[in-house]
Amino acid sequence: MASAPSKQYSDDVSVVMVLLDTNPFFWSGANNTTKVSFSSFLNHVISFLNSVLLLNQLNQVVVIATGYNSCDYILDSSTSESINLSLGNGKMPALCSKMLQKLEEFLIRDEQLSRENLPTGITSSLLSGSLSLALCYIQKVLRSGRLHPNPRILCLQGSPDGPEQYVAVMNAIFSAQRSMVPIDSCIVGAQHSAFLQQASYITGGVYLKPPQLDGLFQYLSTVFATDLHSRSFLQLPKPVGVDFRASCFCHKNTIDMGYICSVCLSIFCQQRKKCSTSDTKRNSIEIYNHHLLPVAASG
Amino acid sequence: MPQVKIIAKNFMDMVAALPTLKLDKLYENTFICEAVLRSLPPLAKKYALQLLYIEEPVTAKSMEEWVLPDGFSKHRVAIDRLIQLRVFIENPDGFSRKKETSYKLNPRFQVNLQNYTAHGGVLPRESMSSSITVRLPTAEELDSYALEQWESFLLQLISSGQIEKTTTSFSPSMMRIFQQGLVSQRDREGPRLTESGFQFLLMDTNAQLWYIIREYIINSEDRGVDSADLISFLLELSFHATGQAYNTSTLDEVQRSAVKDLADLGLIKLQQGRKESWFIPTKLATNLSVSLSDSSSRKEGYVVVETNFRLYAYSTSKLHCEILRLFARIEYQLPNLIVGAITKESLYTAFENGISSEQIISFLQQNAHPRVCDRAAPSVPENVTEQIRLWESDLNRVEVTPANFYDEFPSKDVFEGACDYARDNGGLLWEDSKRMRLVVKAEIHTLMRDYLHRQK
Amino acid sequence: MNYFTSNHVEERRVAEEKEEEDDEEVNDNSMEVWQKEYAEDRSWESLQEDESGLLHSIDNDAVQHAQYRRRLRNLSAATAASRIQKGLIRYLYIVIDLSRAASQNDFKPTRMAAVAKHVEAFIREFFDQNPLSHIGLVTIKDGVAQCITDLGGSPDSHIKTLMSQSGCSGDSSLQNALDLVEGYLCGIPSYGHREVLLLYSALTTCDPGDVMETIKKCKRSKIRCSVIGLSAEVFVCKHLCQETGGSYTIALNEFHFKDLLLEHAPPPPAIAEFAVGNLIKMGFPQRAAEGVVSICSCHKEAKVDGGYICPRCKARVCELPTECRICGLTLVSSPHLARSYHHLFPITPFEEVSLALLNSSRHRLTTTCFGCQQSLVPSGNRPNLRVACPKCKQHFCLDCDIYIHESLHNCPGCESLRHSQTI
Repeated sequence: MASAPSKQYSDDVSVVMVLLDTNPFFWSGANNTTKVSFSSFLNHVISFLNSVLLLNQLNQVVVIATGYNSCDYILDSSTSESINLSLGNGKMPALCSKMLQKLEEFLIRDEQLSRENLPTGITSSLLSGSLSLALCYIQKVLRSGRLHPNPRILCLQGSPDGPEQYVAVMNAIFSAQRSMVPIDSCIVGAQHSAFLQQASYITGGVYLKPPQLDGLFQYLSTVFATDLHSRSFLQLPKPVGVDFRASCFCHKNTIDMGYICSVCLSIFCQQRKKCSTSDTKRNSIEIYNHHLLPVAASG
Repeated sequence: MPQVKIIAKNFMDMVAALPTLKLDKLYENTFICEAVLRSLPPLAKKYALQLLYIEEPVTAKSMEEWVLPDGFSKHRVAIDRLIQLRVFIENPDGFSRKKETSYKLNPRFQVNLQNYTAHGGVLPRESMSSSITVRLPTAEELDSYALEQWESFLLQLISSGQIEKTTTSFSPSMMRIFQQGLVSQRDREGPRLTESGFQFLLMDTNAQLWYIIREYIINSEDRGVDSADLISFLLELSFHATGQAYNTSTLDEVQRSAVKDLADLGLIKLQQGRKESWFIPTKLATNLSVSLSDSSSRKEGYVVVETNFRLYAYSTSKLHCEILRLFARIEYQLPNLIVGAITKESLYTAFENGISSEQIISFLQQNAHPRVCDRAAPSVPENVTEQIRLWESDLNRVEVTPANFYDEFPSKDVFEGACDYARDNGGLLWEDSKRMRLVVKAEIHTLMRDYLHRQK
Repeated sequence: MNYFTSNHVEERRVAEEKEEEDDEEVNDNSMEVWQKEYAEDRSWESLQEDESGLLHSIDNDAVQHAQYRRRLRNLSAATAASRIQKGLIRYLYIVIDLSRAASQNDFKPTRMAAVAKHVEAFIREFFDQNPLSHIGLVTIKDGVAQCITDLGGSPDSHIKTLMSQSGCSGDSSLQNALDLVEGYLCGIPSYGHREVLLLYSALTTCDPGDVMETIKKCKRSKIRCSVIGLSAEVFVCKHLCQETGGSYTIALNEFHFKDLLLEHAPPPPAIAEFAVGNLIKMGFPQRAAEGVVSICSCHKEAKVDGGYICPRCKARVCELPTECRICGLTLVSSPHLARSYHHLFPITPFEEVSLALLNSSRHRLTTTCFGCQQSLVPSGNRPNLRVACPKCKQHFCLDCDIYIHESLHNCPGCESLRHSQTI
């Protein structure tokens, strides 16, 4: 019989790092206008994780929880005990039960940490932390030998960007770009994320904000389950236009043209005699930080 | 003797060749669905996943919109494969009203995989608790057991005039089936590896394993075993956890007899407790459903070839030594190191046995020591690969082509026309315009004859 | 352990030097090419025999990591001393010596080819780390310095020109090269850092005048000159570097050369007198819509896909960062600026966790690396090494340590705890 030629299909083996936004401020509903509960969101995600594992025996998923006060690994399918040992009754498969258990522990810890700190009015989650963790893990995968699976990162983000993380997030994005790791983003919140738009654009990942979240699994399996090899010949969401304009430090206007300090790279909209940032005697870190916020916001 | 072709044929081709009814029955087993899905080309996997929760048939046209123009050939391959394996069912409503091709997932397949994504993978059977099995082999022990078992099987396969006093449970006749085509034993000179036998040895373990398993399955009907049962058991086996013990009493009759054979191949290890007996799948078994020649399952290389044609193999295996001996002169054997040289003489013997230079080179490259691979230079020095090729082409200085000889052309014009015609058909080998003689390849002789008739 | 390795390296260096002499004496003929390859590679030195006579390779990880940490400490000490300002806008001329000395083959295959290979890597790394900077290439051949590429921000055009260079001959002239470069660098704006990096193969310089005068001139023009020598130390080079505040290093072998070269990629500390802080006018162009045909000012042809539009003169350019071909405005995007920020906020080096602490309080130490989850429990002959971030006290494996400081520039521990965030 005429059969399709047998080929090597090993190039679709992938490691998917899923960064799960667990920010209570987002899911508690104050900002959550999407009307999808955390538990149904988790259902979709678990189905997605299972289907990634289904696609190839060598596929691997790692889930990192992006919390409000901390970040931690909550699932690593490569560690043997997470899959192989089914629970006593054999009813609840080990993968998700183990993950749910770890997720719960994580949420409790995360909440305890926030009790220690006074509420600051910040509602962002620690994207920079989970991105950094994911990249460290990916480096381990890349070091593991000549034949390693293709790593990629998927951010499931709901809460708004935290401008104070701008530098750290950008550092992580550039490091991902250097290691050729695409960052996919799926926005489950109400607003677009400027950080993740840039992340996906710079690293060649896919950025998608599903119009409705009822069929989240279909979006996840159609778009984000695609291995890197197949992406070159599939129709995927086109990169959205990313606004790379900066905003000035003095008036926080988005500008086309501006003046940049040659020493500290602060941005101003008008010509001045001296750069006000780098001439001050105070510790510059704080000042830079102060000035970086608008850039992040305009993205 | 029937010529057995040693090709890296995918196991799934065998599954696809099963009759429709049997195939549909196979899909009742979740593990088969899983294994079949994993064997598909990446694009086909994605399509299956995409249609997983879609109950309505999807038209072929709308699926074509999923791919970019460059990927269209891959799209065709994926769809063909899906239909061949009956994962996709074409025009499920009998005949379609709109005369448009549409596809739908095989319902059994769909239900099984929906369960999988919702609840995750489960194991085919419960493993036994450690209180009964006491001490299980460690992962390393198991790996070395599997390798040892497999290598001793191979050694026996290639070097066995002594099949009769075999230690495996395979009947001599079974063994002979395996050897068919790999070893020839016509004369008094004892068994000799055939061309395909050598090729077989140079393949990687997974491919070798599949070859043997395939022979095993094909011949199962003679032993009164349904090949579909065997296939489903083997695929199921690949979803067991490596290193866990499973009770033999959970197996049925067919499986129990298969288990014994598989233990001889190193796929599983059998252990006997006080009351119960159990089997432990090794890495070889759990890698079965990984698609063939998947490079990621390949073991580490051990061969270092230097620019002076010396060859160092860091290996303790007798089989490796035997394989290297096929084309190299082995000089020393240290505890974990084999030292040899690639010489003209050793290669000539290899070529005579039907091994090609490309096979030797690709064997050396595939099994190159990791340290060598880390270097920027090619894993086998270029001068060595070139020389191996040159030595082979030395042996093939004369090329034989069946041909026909034409002469006594009536006129120069007819002759030149014939020359041009032969040239156009790519069959002109030689011409002598002075004496109007012409040699063309035999394959275009009929064309030539027709042409010349027409000229008259 | 440390003492042993450094000693070992010294010995090797001496041995190598001796070998070079030997090589020249026997004039390359007594050894086959393949023998020489191994004689120079000394691969047997990295083998050791165990009690049963099996051969194993020495684990180099720990040694490498120790070297890396030493470098990191030196680096952070240097930045601490000179405040945290960095020269982020650099104008660098790379001067490549293509005199006859560059045709020697102590670097494989020749010095020239080895230099070209690593300069290519350097140029890419340089633009990755200094997106707003410019490079120009100058060669010295037959005693004449020639500028092969003008100052520019596109790595590809430099690399293309560099790779098309062939042949080396004649003498080398330090003065000619410096005069030429000085002439070019005079014209750049005052906020830019003027730098010259000489990759010097020759042991002599053949100059038309007094090279000391030229060195003084460079010093006056605030040009920082650094030299990487490929053969031996030369006084005039050392003098040049001392006078102008650059660094002078000699490459022992190809790997060392690569390391020395890449050390010039991160921006040098800005010394106030070298470059005046200044405000530079820059444009932040927007990406043109996809599918609109416009004439590209860099390729001079119509292009369909979206480029970037200069906000001042509306000319289209293909890539950022660049200078507008029409109005000369520097065009950047905000991520380009962000790419340089890690130089301004370097993360603190991690501290090695002492063995005493490990042994005393093993019961409550984490068993996995915080970054990659690799096990930190010593197994077999792997050394028991781990590092900890002084701020968040998380423990990391050595591989993560290197990755975090060389590429990521974030401490995952600090980033994953809100209250410990100082930024």
